[in-house]
Amino acid sequence: MTTAVQLDGITKRFPGVLANDDVDLTVEQGTVHALLGENGAGKTTLMNILYGLYEPTDGRIVVDGDERSFESPRAAIDAGIGMIHQHFMLVDPMTVAENVTLGAEPRKWGGLAVDADAAVRDVAALSEQYGLDVDPTAPIETLSVGVQQRTEILKALYRGAEVLILDEPTAVLTPQEVEELLSIFEQLTDQGKTIIFITHKLGEAMAAADDITVLRDGQTIGSIAAADTSREALAEMMVGREVLLEIERPPVERGSTLLTVERVSTPSQRGVPAVSDVSFSAHAGEIFGIAGVDGNGQRELIELLTGLSTPASGSIVFDGEVITHTSRRDRIERGIAYVPEDRHAQGLVMPFDLVENGLLGNQRTSSFTDTGRIDWDACHEHASSIIEEYDVRPPNPSASAESLSGGNQQKFIVGRELARDPALLIATHPTRGVDIGSTEFIHEQLLALREAGVAVILVSSKLDEVRGLSDRMAVMHDGTFVDTVDPDAVTEEELGLLMAGEQPARGEQQ
Amino acid sequence: MTTEVRSMAEIAQRLKRRWLELVLVSALLLALGVLFSTTGLTLGDVISKRFLGATLRLSVPIAFAALGGIFAEKSGVINIGLEGHLIIAAFAAIAGVIMTGSVWAGFLAGILASTLFAVLFAIVCIEFQADQVIAGLAIWLVALGLGPFLSTVLYGSVNTPQTGSFQTITIPGLASLPVIGALFDVTPPVYLLYVAVIGCWYVLNHTAFGRWVNASGENPQALDTAGIDVIRVRYVSVILSGVLAGIGGAGYALSIGQFTGSGETMIGGRGFIAVVAYLLGNYNPIGAFLSTALFAGLQTLQIQLQTGVLPASLVQTVPYITVIVVLAAVGHTRTPAAAGEHYESGDE
Repeated sequence: MTTAVQLDGITKRFPGVLANDDVDLTVEQGTVHALLGENGAGKTTLMNILYGLYEPTDGRIVVDGDERSFESPRAAIDAGIGMIHQHFMLVDPMTVAENVTLGAEPRKWGGLAVDADAAVRDVAALSEQYGLDVDPTAPIETLSVGVQQRTEILKALYRGAEVLILDEPTAVLTPQEVEELLSIFEQLTDQGKTIIFITHKLGEAMAAADDITVLRDGQTIGSIAAADTSREALAEMMVGREVLLEIERPPVERGSTLLTVERVSTPSQRGVPAVSDVSFSAHAGEIFGIAGVDGNGQRELIELLTGLSTPASGSIVFDGEVITHTSRRDRIERGIAYVPEDRHAQGLVMPFDLVENGLLGNQRTSSFTDTGRIDWDACHEHASSIIEEYDVRPPNPSASAESLSGGNQQKFIVGRELARDPALLIATHPTRGVDIGSTEFIHEQLLALREAGVAVILVSSKLDEVRGLSDRMAVMHDGTFVDTVDPDAVTEEELGLLMAGEQPARGEQQ
Repeated sequence: MTTEVRSMAEIAQRLKRRWLELVLVSALLLALGVLFSTTGLTLGDVISKRFLGATLRLSVPIAFAALGGIFAEKSGVINIGLEGHLIIAAFAAIAGVIMTGSVWAGFLAGILASTLFAVLFAIVCIEFQADQVIAGLAIWLVALGLGPFLSTVLYGSVNTPQTGSFQTITIPGLASLPVIGALFDVTPPVYLLYVAVIGCWYVLNHTAFGRWVNASGENPQALDTAGIDVIRVRYVSVILSGVLAGIGGAGYALSIGQFTGSGETMIGGRGFIAVVAYLLGNYNPIGAFLSTALFAGLQTLQIQLQTGVLPASLVQTVPYITVIVVLAAVGHTRTPAAAGEHYESGDE
């Protein structure tokens, strides 16, 4: 076996930050290599150096046995290195073939015209060769995220990439698309290509990679064959201490019914499945989970519960009072806290600092305002206490929300919502895009709430998470609850069928 | 059940929209009909060689400016100063003819003046990242002041003396066709316009440069990572917009043979109509040319309608009211995603 890429003692210093500290990485040709680490461990910086976006402060890059230094991505591309960024670099109104060939268009008539037919033919052939199944004539804006990602892979292959770097490739994909991507990895390595992918998900690294290199705080912690390690060992390497991967849910006495949802329905908008005829109840001291493939009405249902929209029919009763048509403000005052799905769009105002973000939703609470004037000192104190209690880093209330990593943003949102002292917490995808250390912490917080007698409604597309935390669990498909199950008794197979919308043989309801 | 509710609501919405469009368009037709009946005009006056010829002459400034605007905006730089390019080109063309005595030399002088303005605009917007709309308005205001001012300094009046102008070139045979024969009995700038419309369409849709212009306005970062210099593509596009608008302004002035600088100058807002024309044509050169023909036709019509009982100043608003109505009725132009945004390479 030959070595495709070797990084030797790479150090990268930014003003005030040591992003990479003497990092070594050896990638064998024809293998899948996972670069594993928590957010901010220096994985992306290292790959940007290999791709010519940054110049290393120190260290050696060896590609195919030759020492190289890339002053631009162009040079890296010419050396056969392609990178697929987390945010795709695609032109939406253009077709797949136009995007793939952009900047390297096949010409005809002495260069006067683009040979559009040749472009389509070449891209179709490449797509065929690596089993990518992409229609070269489809405009990008009509394609799913998974297909767009494969277009990016085609772009790199078209430019002659032998080594493909993918930055968090699964972050934007559905579970099915992840499966497809992993099989594409196999096709590519079978034909001699080398893949380096950045991830913070243990399961993926174990499932997809041949070798795994773990980075922490900008340093190489170790490289290991995926077959010779375990999730627990990797987690410890990543975080630097022992991590509880299994969620332990101590028994808690279930309290009285707090929220009763009775046959709510809402019409769909723009083809997204709506909610139809959903009924359930949530109790104090209970975590009620909602599982399902994304886009099956979870978002619409949660909007009905939080007061962001109102149902076309049905009723919602909270603590003995009908709140079907009350506003979000009214529900905040009643003690319904909400950790939204999209922390950038709904959870935080990104350019605002943490003091201002901590105030969001509290701006009418008497401890922060006296008839119209905001008490900024109190807000500052409030933000500081959230930061301290939830270990938000950097511990600086004046930092803007956008300067924080995803995990720290999420910890801050969870802290803010819990500081409202809620009776009911609605948490949607609370650990999406969050590293394992923070995930563990957020899970602990949810369980603590449950013990304190708060009702929690948890929506997550991570099956492990929703099964581990929930006392009862509904499976949603196409806007309806297919079934409500006991998460400890149900098998993975049964869940899969329910998520696909297959009705259970026994019509048993809890 | 729910899908029925949805489709009902959708149909209702669509009907409401259709109905609105219908009301707008019929109101316009009715107004035009009333105007017609108050004058002695007949349909035969409109479908005639004379009418088509006048329309083509008026199309020159609007269509060339629109073609220029397409390149600039597609590459991500909104050039709202097309009016300014037309004014300065018109003045420089006439001044050039007066100085050299050659119409073609004047034509080149006009193009050169407009191109210089475009270079200035490109540097301010791309290099110094000024707000494109403000910089574009500045170009217009500078030209609006500079043209008549230079005319006063050189010729003692905001209006230049009458000079030589482009002569009509008649293509034998084709020109004697009924009505459309007027297409082949026009001045050189009009023939140049035919070539430019097809040429621009070809460049934008079938050349690599056209692809780059498109990508530069939609997702400059994608173009940059593909190894193409976004800044260079934008410079070329903006300068091209100055060249094209320059041909329009110079060609228009030289078909009249005089620069008139009073009020809004002889250009009279045609640079702004050009912006509407390319938006209405959805950034397609051929679409922009057709919408230009519509506005130019209305302007020609408006001149003839002034013979009726209605006050002339009211009749003059006809083309502009039509613009508003047509925009409201069509209203689905897709602007480039990154238009108006600055781009800096290495913004990782």
